[in-house]
Amino acid sequence: MNAIQTRALRRVFTAGRDKRGKSGSRTALDGVDLSIPPGEVHGLLGPNGAGKTTLCKILSTVLVPTSGSASVMGHDVVTGLAAVRPLVGCVFGGDRGLYGRLSGRKNLAYWAALYGVPRRLIDGRTTTLLDRFGLAGRADERVETYSRGMKQRLHLARGLVHNPPVLLLDEPTTGMDPVSAMDFRRLIGELRNEGRTVLVTTHDMAEAEAVCDRVTLVNDGRILHSASPQELSALVSRYGRVEARNVPDTLTQRVRILPGVTRVATDTDGVTRIELASADAAPPVLRLLIERGVTDLATCRPGLEEVYLHLIADRGMEVGR
Amino acid sequence: MNRYLAGFRLQTALLRRAFGDLHTLLTVPVYTLIFLAMTDGVHRPGLSTDAVLAPALMGLWFMAVFTAGDLIVWDRHHGTLEPTVAAPGSLAPVITGRIGAVTLLSFVVYVESWAVGAGYGLRLTVHHPLVFLAGVVATAFATACTAAMIATLLVLPRNAQIYQNSVSWPLFLLSGIIVPISALPDWLRPLSRLSFLYWSAGLLRSALGTHPVDDALLRLTAVVLLGTVGAGAAAFLLRKVLTRLRVLGTLGYS
Ligand SMILES: Nc1ncnc2c1ncn2[C@@H]1O[C@H](COP(=O)(O)OP(=O)(O)OP(=O)(O)O)[C@@H](O)[C@H]1O
Ligand SMILES: [Mg+2]
Repeated sequence: MNAIQTRALRRVFTAGRDKRGKSGSRTALDGVDLSIPPGEVHGLLGPNGAGKTTLCKILSTVLVPTSGSASVMGHDVVTGLAAVRPLVGCVFGGDRGLYGRLSGRKNLAYWAALYGVPRRLIDGRTTTLLDRFGLAGRADERVETYSRGMKQRLHLARGLVHNPPVLLLDEPTTGMDPVSAMDFRRLIGELRNEGRTVLVTTHDMAEAEAVCDRVTLVNDGRILHSASPQELSALVSRYGRVEARNVPDTLTQRVRILPGVTRVATDTDGVTRIELASADAAPPVLRLLIERGVTDLATCRPGLEEVYLHLIADRGMEVGR
Repeated sequence: MNRYLAGFRLQTALLRRAFGDLHTLLTVPVYTLIFLAMTDGVHRPGLSTDAVLAPALMGLWFMAVFTAGDLIVWDRHHGTLEPTVAAPGSLAPVITGRIGAVTLLSFVVYVESWAVGAGYGLRLTVHHPLVFLAGVVATAFATACTAAMIATLLVLPRNAQIYQNSVSWPLFLLSGIIVPISALPDWLRPLSRLSFLYWSAGLLRSALGTHPVDDALLRLTAVVLLGTVGAGAAAFLLRKVLTRLRVLGTLGYS
């Protein structure tokens, strides 16, 4: 049995009328098949509007699928609602979703009670969580005085308040400083050691590589690719490139014919972009450039968007709509 | 029970930190003064009861509609409804607990209007304390249940706030707490029987009077029954509304 399973999952939003009075609909998820075994930390990567939040909401039962099915620990999210809810902890980030007038401790205590944590355990549980997320010093201050990152940590604490075996983390590190983001990586490691299944959405490829057992790339409501972080980083270096300044034309011609170089283009600012088809293509290119006195150069990992574009192009899919 | 308590404690904590939400309570003395002045209640003992009772009942109702009626809408706008719904168990006891906290606090309206009456030189005696007490409790129950229904009805329409005022005054009129029912057109009068506030006001008025109270049990039953109908409607509507929001995807309202 998979901890999380979706089959041909589709979700269509009927948007309100637009300016011209046409009422349109938007497909947020378009036939998603996803299987996540218990204990896996699974990353969901995708650009804005890819459907990541929509998937998390369906799995946490606050949104109903249009068609297809989704289940958590074998329970359907629509028909087995009551069984699913205690199993899932969800963290929808951001400034919203907390009672700003109450302290962090009061907030946690409320959600603990709501999730059926026995009253005698609530105090201890909230204190432990506040400690774990570095909020102990501000625990009794109003949440509205917290910084964004602190609110984010409180969201995470809330997600764990009932000790769920499955966690859905929707962009859990937005607003966190780099140190907290590192703490977050450690936290994910702990959650993995505790045997929990984690679905975490992010825009950050490096973060996904660092914490996930497997990563799924989504775009436009469809799954593009599922891979381990190793495969992902291979993919990334495959689409690596070199950028250099002040490369003479003659040198550009020579670089172009080196093995593994797919494209060379110089823009109006005088920056030459050399796109590579494999990781081993980079050293000869760099060597040649340096020999010829080009010192202003850098190798670049492609951003997530670039990888998508490549993947989409490889599959002959249309970009955008 | 735990979910009820969770709601009750949450709302108590929220109210303690937001005196702004309690502004309704400040209007009770003002209304009491207005009514006393208008009816010249001190010199017309027949009306003095109403002049004190009406602002209390109005305050109770306004607290329910403005503070309790907003709960779900507020949660939805602030993104707290979504995690509340994602938690296991039904939402109804949580909301009931929260409204219960508001209603309990609202008992202070009786103290306020009584105090203003006393300050005006008015001596009100509760001649039938048991009936009065039962009436006050039944009224609180019915108010909370009706507020729960309104809280649910306010979720779907945009700008729901404007309805909060527009349902209140007709209710007051129908219930005979501002003007006697006999002042209403004939065809309207039967509708009064459907308002719990009509029965509440009648019962409490009788409990304050010197005459024996007629049909006390029957009138109490009417209050409780209408409250229960409200609670049933609230639970039914809440299920419908939540399903609708989950289908539309607007539980989180962004
Ligand atoms: N309630 C809604 N009503 C209408 N359209 C919606 C609604 N929620 C999401 N959508 C649309 O569904 C698509 C997917 O949105 P979703 O929020 O799942 O994306 P995402 O991958 O989480 O994006 P981001 O990275 O920006 O958080 C978008 O086109 C969005 O506009
Ligand atoms: Mg999102």
